[in-house]
Amino acid sequence: MASGQDSSGTTLMDLITSDPSAASAPGASSQQPSSSGGGGSLGRPAPAAADRKSKRATLMQIQSDTISAAKAFNPVKALPQRNRKKKPVSYSQLARSIHELAATCDQKSSQRQLVNSVFPKLAVYNSVDPSVAPSLLMLHQQCEDRNVLRYVYYYLARILADNDSQGLSAAGGIPTPNWDALADIDTVGGVTRADVVPRIVDQLSAESTSDDVEFHARRLAALKALTSSSTSSSEMLEKLNEIVFGILEKVADSKQKRKKGIFTKQGGDKESILRSNLQYASLSALRRLPLDLGNPAFLHRAVQGIEFSDPVAVRHALSIISEIAVRDPYSVAMALGKSAQPGGALQDILHLHDVLARVYLAKLCHSISRARVLDERPDIKSQYSSLLYQLLLDPSDRVCFEAILCVLGKVDNTESTEDRAGGWIRLTREILKLPEAPSVASKGVLSKASEKSSKARRPQPLIKLVMRRLESSFRSFSRPVLHAAARVVQEMGKSRAAAYALGAYDEGANLQAYSDNVESLDSDLNENSQPEATRKAKPPSNGHGGLDTVAGLLASLMEVVRTTVACECVYVRAMVIKALIWMQNPHESLDELKSIIACELSDPAWPSSLLNDVLLTLHARFKATPDMAVTLLEIARIFATKVPGKIDADVLQLLWKTCLVGAGPDGKHTALEAVTIVLDLPPPQPGSMSVLTSVDMVSASDPKSAMALQRLVQAAVWFLGENANYAASEYAWESATPPGTALMMLDADKMVAAASSRNPTLASALTRLQRCAFSGSWEIRIAAVQALTTIAIRSGEPYRLQIYEFLHALSLGGVQSNFSELQLSNGENQGASGTGLGSLISPMLKVLDEMYRAQDELARDTRQHDNSKQEWSDDELKKLYETHERLLDFVSLFCFVPRIKYLPLGPTSAKLIEIYRNRHNISASVGLSDPAVATGISDLMYESKDAHKETPTMQSGIDPDLAMAWAAGLEDDVWENNAPAVDKVKDFLAGAGTDAPDVDDEEYMNSRPSAGYDDMWAKTILETYEADEDDGRSSGGSSPESTGSVETSISSHFGGMNYPSLFSSKPPSYGASQQTIREEPPSYTTSVLQKRESFDNPLAGRGGRSSGGRSSGSHEDSEKSSGNPHSGKALYDFTAGGDDELSLNSGEDVEIEYEVDGWYYVKKKRPGRDGKIAGLVPVLYVSS
Amino acid sequence: MILAVLFANSDGNILIERFHGVPAEERLHWRSFLVKLGSENLKGAKNEELLVASHKSVSIVYTMIGDVCLYIVGKDEYDELALSEVIFAVTSAVKDVCGKPPTERLFLDKYGRICLCLDEIVWKGLLENTEKDRVRRLIRLKPPVEP
Repeated sequence: MASGQDSSGTTLMDLITSDPSAASAPGASSQQPSSSGGGGSLGRPAPAAADRKSKRATLMQIQSDTISAAKAFNPVKALPQRNRKKKPVSYSQLARSIHELAATCDQKSSQRQLVNSVFPKLAVYNSVDPSVAPSLLMLHQQCEDRNVLRYVYYYLARILADNDSQGLSAAGGIPTPNWDALADIDTVGGVTRADVVPRIVDQLSAESTSDDVEFHARRLAALKALTSSSTSSSEMLEKLNEIVFGILEKVADSKQKRKKGIFTKQGGDKESILRSNLQYASLSALRRLPLDLGNPAFLHRAVQGIEFSDPVAVRHALSIISEIAVRDPYSVAMALGKSAQPGGALQDILHLHDVLARVYLAKLCHSISRARVLDERPDIKSQYSSLLYQLLLDPSDRVCFEAILCVLGKVDNTESTEDRAGGWIRLTREILKLPEAPSVASKGVLSKASEKSSKARRPQPLIKLVMRRLESSFRSFSRPVLHAAARVVQEMGKSRAAAYALGAYDEGANLQAYSDNVESLDSDLNENSQPEATRKAKPPSNGHGGLDTVAGLLASLMEVVRTTVACECVYVRAMVIKALIWMQNPHESLDELKSIIACELSDPAWPSSLLNDVLLTLHARFKATPDMAVTLLEIARIFATKVPGKIDADVLQLLWKTCLVGAGPDGKHTALEAVTIVLDLPPPQPGSMSVLTSVDMVSASDPKSAMALQRLVQAAVWFLGENANYAASEYAWESATPPGTALMMLDADKMVAAASSRNPTLASALTRLQRCAFSGSWEIRIAAVQALTTIAIRSGEPYRLQIYEFLHALSLGGVQSNFSELQLSNGENQGASGTGLGSLISPMLKVLDEMYRAQDELARDTRQHDNSKQEWSDDELKKLYETHERLLDFVSLFCFVPRIKYLPLGPTSAKLIEIYRNRHNISASVGLSDPAVATGISDLMYESKDAHKETPTMQSGIDPDLAMAWAAGLEDDVWENNAPAVDKVKDFLAGAGTDAPDVDDEEYMNSRPSAGYDDMWAKTILETYEADEDDGRSSGGSSPESTGSVETSISSHFGGMNYPSLFSSKPPSYGASQQTIREEPPSYTTSVLQKRESFDNPLAGRGGRSSGGRSSGSHEDSEKSSGNPHSGKALYDFTAGGDDELSLNSGEDVEIEYEVDGWYYVKKKRPGRDGKIAGLVPVLYVSS
Repeated sequence: MILAVLFANSDGNILIERFHGVPAEERLHWRSFLVKLGSENLKGAKNEELLVASHKSVSIVYTMIGDVCLYIVGKDEYDELALSEVIFAVTSAVKDVCGKPPTERLFLDKYGRICLCLDEIVWKGLLENTEKDRVRRLIRLKPPVEP
């Protein structure tokens, strides 16, 4: 820790100490502690800025030289100060001088030194160690100098605030050296925090309870310092409560009596000012105490607080009340009593000169006016909502926006769709009736005032007020205002979407009443209430009405919003785009939004985190309005094509999935089309900076984003393979075509024609995948082949045959030559098989081969049996059943299929297998005997499902749609439990996310001028961290997240849970091969080679096993059927402590191989999360 | 909640930082995120022009005052606009202490004072005093309103 300053060259302390007044005069300029700025001795130019302003620096240099020369003759400044001539003062030096100076604190010179040099420098450290506390306390008691004392309170507070773990202290700075290292300090050695804290607390509490007017200011400071101590200990909390309530008792109540006098406050007498100061201090302390719900005294004091004359005190009081009101609106409303009425204290706050106080007022009004518990008290509720509406007129944007958000029903992110919808309706229907002048309000009774004011000012529909306000905000030059306004519009969009979502059954009748109401109140609104009503009744006909309709108002607002896209700040633009996405209606034209986004994305300034945020917004938008699936996919596509390097492919995939499911049966085709358009993109042409305005043009001009695009395409291919059957509703187990028919159509053209006529969705998906299997890079071709196999296995004829033929041709390599003229060669060695895919394809072909062969045999056998009118014998049936099971196992290695329904032998086999099953009482359950599960293919992905899915499947069989959804992980349930992208989405939807941003654009880290952190103390903290990160995440010095380099894509592809493919089962060797990849330089060819290895390894193992299984029946099955006597079950969770040990989850089934010294060597059915399948576990952990 | 107040010089060296409610392991991320933000955007910015950024539900407002960059991070009620209020309070206090928009040197010379001001303005993650005069009185250990 102490190295924070030692090893890093210039520290903050150096910067500070390099001031001339501190350094002793002679030769000061030559004794700069660091190489920075030569002329620092005058204290003029910032040392680090010296090189920038070299001219000025030279000037300064001359000047300072002169001055230091002058000083040399006149060394007045060379006071007998501490010895920090050469080096920056160390912490222990500071501590020591505090002790020394505290002893002589009655002398002016010591005081000056303390204030001018010692205390400021101590502030550099991030905590104050307890050993200085005795001196501080001594100063606190004996010193009279205000400035010294102020620092004393500051440091005492910091000592109190220091949680036991240093890291949690609020203050940053140089890490304070280890306290133990300070033990050599002679005055007080070895003082611990536990020793001093009670003393500090005692001294401060004594002070804060003293009524002596002389010590008024000190009392306030002491109280403040006290509150910074942690309130986690109940003892401390009690003490604080006692003090704060004690003070409030004295000052708050007396206020009450003299309430009418408030308005004459500023020139008030001394007594009232003292009181007001105390009120401020005690309320500010109260605010820091934990909220004491259900304590009437707490609430009572806070409510009294809103009448205090100190604006900060009022703000704190309101914030306390508004927080309590969220939980307990009833008692708050009761406690507030009449203060919301005209003339009440809350009305005064409308004119209080404190922005945050009014913000809290808005929150308070919102929670009370929306409270269900107050339903019987409409009068109270209306008072508060009228207050809230008045806040819409607030001069401060902050307050007005808060009020809009409250009207819209947004408080935190927990409100329900109904709340939001209600908010939108409120905003569009309600009317602000009482924008009365305060003088009128305070004099009149409610009814009178409202009458008066409605004469004085026209009632205004809220929506108009809001729109006007927002439009003017969008013309502001201030970026925060623009950002906030866009955010408000976004929230409006959310509420509006919610209203639409519920619109069908909601509010139809209500609306009429409302609009009648509107009419009766304001003839001005006559023309717009009617169109509005019709608009609401049938939302689609949302034309641009006159300027006075809600639609018209919105249209003009959106016009202004769109112009804001021109803001130079990307964050503002991002917010604007989000707002536009939210305000987009399913029925409106999308072109404008699309072109805006497309233009925006061409700007390289966008950070990837922001783009992903927008992507997540699409997600949220989809959740709100599932109708928009296709629209949103279109937008997502723009992201995929424009900035493939910056978006998170996982998030994009998740969006695809959700949209695909959400699109419903009719939209599935379109949704899939939207996804697959990614595949139709031309491969990025390096170096060609062609027209960027076209949406479909890929702008992957640099290798990084070209890589990322590849990854994206890969993801799309995988997605297509996994979901095409779902989208096309085509499943082998539902296909009516008997396999024989398909075999007749061996002519490829006819087959394709038949296929596309039967199911255009699937046919087009196939075409695309086939193209990908030719073109594209190696990994895309692999993914395409896998995808095709998946589809082949899952679909019925003629698709299966079509794919079979295609794969067959591909493995021979003949087709490649036909196509190679069309595609630019990407310079790869195509391999002996022509496509380089031969070794990969063969096992896939083998499956299909086997299936067809078995089908042939079955057909033959059936014919024989039919001809000879023979019944099937049990042995024959058994053989058939075994083939069936074997094929099922085999197939399950490649993709998920519902075991109960899937018939590798074709539909005709169903009956026979059924017969055999019935005879032998074999249940068709899936469960763990499914090799797909056993080998971990569906590891992670389905794990969570298995638990609660198994039971229903046992009895009823799976609905195919559901099964596919399950297989693809489409259901909410699945994705809510799993993928990391899901967490992002969930966080986003919940509006959570205060965690730190990930700044790992190492571009920045690398390109940053070396003068940056390098010489700073912070760098020393950073160093270790950066090193770790580099090792762990990026081998090529490129940004790991945004580029999607080959390595990441591999690991995510085959390790990530989004790709439950054959290869996602991690055999033990896989980890190792991945390791090697990471260590290799990220050259393309090597990684491909490496990857081939990592592909082949599992495949060879798998292939070997399954072909071996052919002769002897499935290996696993035989083991199981022979009833291995050593099977066992894990009794408890066990975490592996070493390489040869195996982690277990309790309840897991294992096979016990042998026992050694109290350990079992066991094998799991499938690899665990760490990828290990076998290892040692303690005997006691397994029941045998 | 005001999550962080951070002063840095134009080279990205952090001069003062105050975190509240930010776990220690995230502070590093915040530091580098903010510094990066400043290095990318504050170059041509006018003195005290407010810039804005956001990360998830957290808002960031930052500015350049003299040679010093000031970043403030907040969430919940401390959105962009409320943070603008905070930043106004802080910059005016800093200017008050330094007498003008500070150079880095001047800022460091007044380091202790500025820390005290900050202590009065942002305390335990909440905005406390905003008025310049009040802050000035409080850092001299005088009551907020003089009797």
